[in-house]
Amino acid sequence: MTFNKKFYSFAAAILSIGLLVSGCGDDTKDEAAGSGSTDEKVQLELWLTPQWKGVQDASEDGADYDSFFKKAAEDYTKENPNVAIDIQVIPGEERADKLSVAMQTKTLPDMFFDSAFALTEYAHAGILAPMDDIIDDESKKDIPETIWDNVQINDETYFYPFSHNPGTLAYNAEMFEKAGLDEYISGEYEIATWTPEEYEMILETLKEKLPDVSPMGLFAKNNQGDTWNLSYLTMFGNKIYDKDGQIVVNEENGVKALEYIKNLNDKELTTAGAETLSSNDVNAMFQNQQVAVSFTNSVLFNGILNDMENGVVNKFDLRLANIPGEKNPTSFTYVAGGAVFNTGTEAEVEASKDFVKFFSTDKELVKASKNSLPVRESVSKEASSELPYLEAYNKNSEYIFNFSNNTPGYAELRNAFFPELQAVFTDEKTPQEALDSFAENGNRIIDTNTEKSVILK
Amino acid sequence: MKLLKRIKKMEKFDLISNTIVLTFAIISLLPLYWLVTNSFKTSSEIYQMPPSILPAKLYWGNFKELFNGQPAVRWMFNSFFVSFTTTALSVILSASAAYAFAKLHFKGKKIFFMLLIASIMIPKETFIVPLFKIIVAFNWIDTYQAMIVPNLATGFGTFMLYSFFKAIPDSLRESAKLDGASEWMIFSKLMLPIAKPGIGALFILNFVTVWNDYLWQLLMARSKEMNTLTTGVASLQQAINPNIGLKVAGAALAALPMIIVFILFQKYFTKGMTAGAVKE
Repeated sequence: MTFNKKFYSFAAAILSIGLLVSGCGDDTKDEAAGSGSTDEKVQLELWLTPQWKGVQDASEDGADYDSFFKKAAEDYTKENPNVAIDIQVIPGEERADKLSVAMQTKTLPDMFFDSAFALTEYAHAGILAPMDDIIDDESKKDIPETIWDNVQINDETYFYPFSHNPGTLAYNAEMFEKAGLDEYISGEYEIATWTPEEYEMILETLKEKLPDVSPMGLFAKNNQGDTWNLSYLTMFGNKIYDKDGQIVVNEENGVKALEYIKNLNDKELTTAGAETLSSNDVNAMFQNQQVAVSFTNSVLFNGILNDMENGVVNKFDLRLANIPGEKNPTSFTYVAGGAVFNTGTEAEVEASKDFVKFFSTDKELVKASKNSLPVRESVSKEASSELPYLEAYNKNSEYIFNFSNNTPGYAELRNAFFPELQAVFTDEKTPQEALDSFAENGNRIIDTNTEKSVILK
Repeated sequence: MKLLKRIKKMEKFDLISNTIVLTFAIISLLPLYWLVTNSFKTSSEIYQMPPSILPAKLYWGNFKELFNGQPAVRWMFNSFFVSFTTTALSVILSASAAYAFAKLHFKGKKIFFMLLIASIMIPKETFIVPLFKIIVAFNWIDTYQAMIVPNLATGFGTFMLYSFFKAIPDSLRESAKLDGASEWMIFSKLMLPIAKPGIGALFILNFVTVWNDYLWQLLMARSKEMNTLTTGVASLQQAINPNIGLKVAGAALAALPMIIVFILFQKYFTKGMTAGAVKE
């Protein structure tokens, strides 16, 4: 590299280009003047993490993760020309970082679309606007109570439910057949229900007849997928939280459930080294037919079926099963919806709420909720022919429990859980010790964050 | 045959040492090999145990998804433009500052230099929020200058080149002055060519640092078109169904320009990192 005229000319050229593009800039949101007049210009911003591609589905031309909201914004601004809406897709893993910096620098977006449980901490921070004033009776009746439970804190609604994504187990029915477990295979569009005793017997039989396959996918490397691990602890009918929101999973039946899981692990009926495996690892092993029973949710499940159709994953007979329960199966779901930040002007907050209501109630737009599962019974009825598992999922809805309890500090709580599982799987702690530790740490986290919560004061 | 002849001619020690070096070279290249081959595998094949050394079948789906309907070419351009511009400008600034500290005399030089060293010890994450506020105040969100300007003045670059300039004998500068050379001529025609190894090494290090400045680029980019390759690929990941194949393909693409830059500046990097002081 010679430092001659050429170099400096080049450097000057770079500098010039740099200065030239300094003119390229997005004007940040202008503060809307006034106090909510319908004629005043309002600039809104909606962030979302990747949910589904396309307006209605991924097969559309140019389908992308922001297609639905861009279409919704286009339709909305036709009726409300004074409102302009920018849509931004952000990586799910960076949601917390981006929102944290935005909070501290007062540059939060106006709206966010994501799973409700990931955003409840912002409700507790007092920066989400309650939305009960925009929820009409028709919507209230059209969406089941168990879904509303997931989006309400202290009887106030902070997310307008749009779709949900139930979590279950999935199993390889071909492996079940080879192991002579035909009677435990459910119908093609049904969700099998087994008791814990039956489940253990199924895993033992799989181990005996198919020694090269791990009967059950188990993971505890990090907090990914921890909802399934938490759900296993309710197998014998106990609760995770009591009526005061305190963790009580360390009582007798909770310990029995963790002992049950540890027993499966000790008998090598689960994936080896569960403490080092993530949910992604186990999911991939299941797709590679190295695991017989794994976790899934409706989006993942449809994704695997699509990959089988496209030849990305070798085909096998994929079926659904409930998380075993002694009396009733355990079920949970991730409710996704729009939330509104209350940090803008009155006009911006009102317009944001109006837009959220718009895309959550528009008869055409709500059909997009079938990309996971619709929360609205009206949409479910209409889409039932396209969603063969819908009836089975709906039957499960009575067993849905609110895994986060919308508790303050849930994100922190998750990080207190998986290390205890690791300790159990590596014999560092007994199940009782681990759950006692989780309850102690977890309740401390809940208490500290309850103190800080603006809405629980 | 030639290789066999060369091996036969080698002394025992050379053969052993070359074998060891070759082994370590292969081990060092393994992650890169893994990255490239995995980018042509499906997500489930990537996780397969035991892992496959080569893809069972060349799968182009990861790259198709990356380029299909996404401005991936624009993301690559953004990454390259931001990294190259930042690096070029920061090297110029660092060299100028380093020369001033090493060769010039001015009031407060020592204190300023101490402050510069101290600034290296502060992790960038601690001042992200105030820096963000400044960018917002300038109305620079979602612009190239927001990604470039905060990375221009680096204490590390100045400190690194300071030692190179310091090692150049003062007598050289004095002779040039006696011959009537201006300070600028001394700096540009005399000092910079001698400090080439350091500048080359700094160029590579800065380029890699800026290319990997994921968090800052994530915070600055608001529109899809302003994403860099790393933030753009990340924005395609569903939290509940992360596509590891897509991530790996994006990483493989992102690694390419850095490999090219390293190859171009390799000799300077080696010289720069291993050069002893110039002895008077």
